[in-house]
Amino acid sequence: MLINFNLNHKPVSVDAPADITLLALLRDRFKLTGTKEACEVGECGACSVLLDGELVNSCLVAAPSVMGRNVVTIEGIHAEDGGPNDLQRNFIEKGAVQCGFCIPGMVLAGEALLSIKSDPSRLEIREALAGNLCRCTGYMQIVDAIETTAKARAEKHHPEKRED
Amino acid sequence: MAKFDYVLAKTLEDAVHLLNEPNIRSIPLAGGTDIYVAIRVNPIWFDRLVDIRRIPELSQITQEGDVVSLGAAVTFSHAIANPILQKVAPFLVEACSTIGGPAVRNCGTFGGNVSNAAACADSLPALVCLEAVAHLRSPKGKRQLKVEDLVTGPHETKIESGELLTHFTFKVPPEKARSCFIKIGRREAQSISRLSIAVIGAVDSTGMVDYIRVCPGAAVATPVRFPHVEAVLLGKKPDEEIITAAAEQLVVDMIVSTGRRWSTEYKEITLKAIAERSLTKIFLEDGQHVN
Ligand code: FES
Ligand code: FES
Repeated sequence: MLINFNLNHKPVSVDAPADITLLALLRDRFKLTGTKEACEVGECGACSVLLDGELVNSCLVAAPSVMGRNVVTIEGIHAEDGGPNDLQRNFIEKGAVQCGFCIPGMVLAGEALLSIKSDPSRLEIREALAGNLCRCTGYMQIVDAIETTAKARAEKHHPEKRED
Repeated sequence: MAKFDYVLAKTLEDAVHLLNEPNIRSIPLAGGTDIYVAIRVNPIWFDRLVDIRRIPELSQITQEGDVVSLGAAVTFSHAIANPILQKVAPFLVEACSTIGGPAVRNCGTFGGNVSNAAACADSLPALVCLEAVAHLRSPKGKRQLKVEDLVTGPHETKIESGELLTHFTFKVPPEKARSCFIKIGRREAQSISRLSIAVIGAVDSTGMVDYIRVCPGAAVATPVRFPHVEAVLLGKKPDEEIITAAAEQLVVDMIVSTGRRWSTEYKEITLKAIAERSLTKIFLEDGQHVN
């Protein structure tokens, strides 16, 4: 069936079977492989994307249900010049990335939090990451990266947000 | 070829019609958080998903007089942020905030949680304490059932095929009532309940309990109130002794209901502890006020 929606801020139209998930649509049809496929049952958060600005597990979302809605994947999160944005740079600087598999989901979970809460506590950051598993880092550096970004964005009058 | 079809319902009437089209087994799709897990482990039992998430009425939380209405497609995130529920049913909000992680709460819905009726469904104990009524729609008309009666067993409900769960209603609990939800999981966040409890209660002007509802989750086959436990408390001054007596009664009633099993040894200790803790919280500490 024909599915029209906004993908990383651009309108797209794709013909896809009705029974696939948003995860399969993104990876197989659009070749956006930054969205990772792991548990496929909503447990790990590797497949996290933003749907109308809210964090969702794309492995649990029916592909046709995104008709007319806005989907942002990790490929849609970057600085204006196309390089890493402030949050992504902080992930690198704080040593929050090891194998990297969980990181797209972590960055999106971080952006989802910062879009509704500009000064989250460390506990709130941890709660925001509760659905995202990391096998490598032990999470502390990820929390650090999000916390540092929140502070820097709050300080800057014009926060460098993901481009909308 | 696609293993099943998908159709978006625009209105309630549309959804009921689509769910009842002959020769095509249709089921409602709301958040998808249970369905997409289920089809990975079970053979597919339907031909078509009828997406009900964009029917406006189903996503509403309203209060008219002393009746609150909660749409079946309201997500847990929506509920957590909703001022009506925060005010009149803080323990329901608390329960919602223990479900999954943010991504699951952004999708998962009350209708899905209740109709999937997992033993560990976290919204159920508070809904049962609130004596919530489920409203169902089918081509035959409308009917209502108490949530407590709707769920007949793990993953079993009285919802008939072709019937759509549209919303829940419950009466605003008495003013001064305090409520509490406690969940024991394997870890703090995103855990499946091993055991939980919802309690709501109030005392009269002389300090005696005049309102109490107790419903544990995942303790017995379905989420139900425990009248004997409530009877222990009613009319009494809720001190430590009475609270312990009520908690012990709850354990006795659980074992009567389930018999002794491999998990009883764990559950009897844990259930007693969370019953005491929750009742202490509402009667002797600072349980969350209703109103
Ligand atoms: S792949 Fe979706 S949550 Fe794990
Ligand atoms: S960096 Fe390896 S899973 Fe998180």
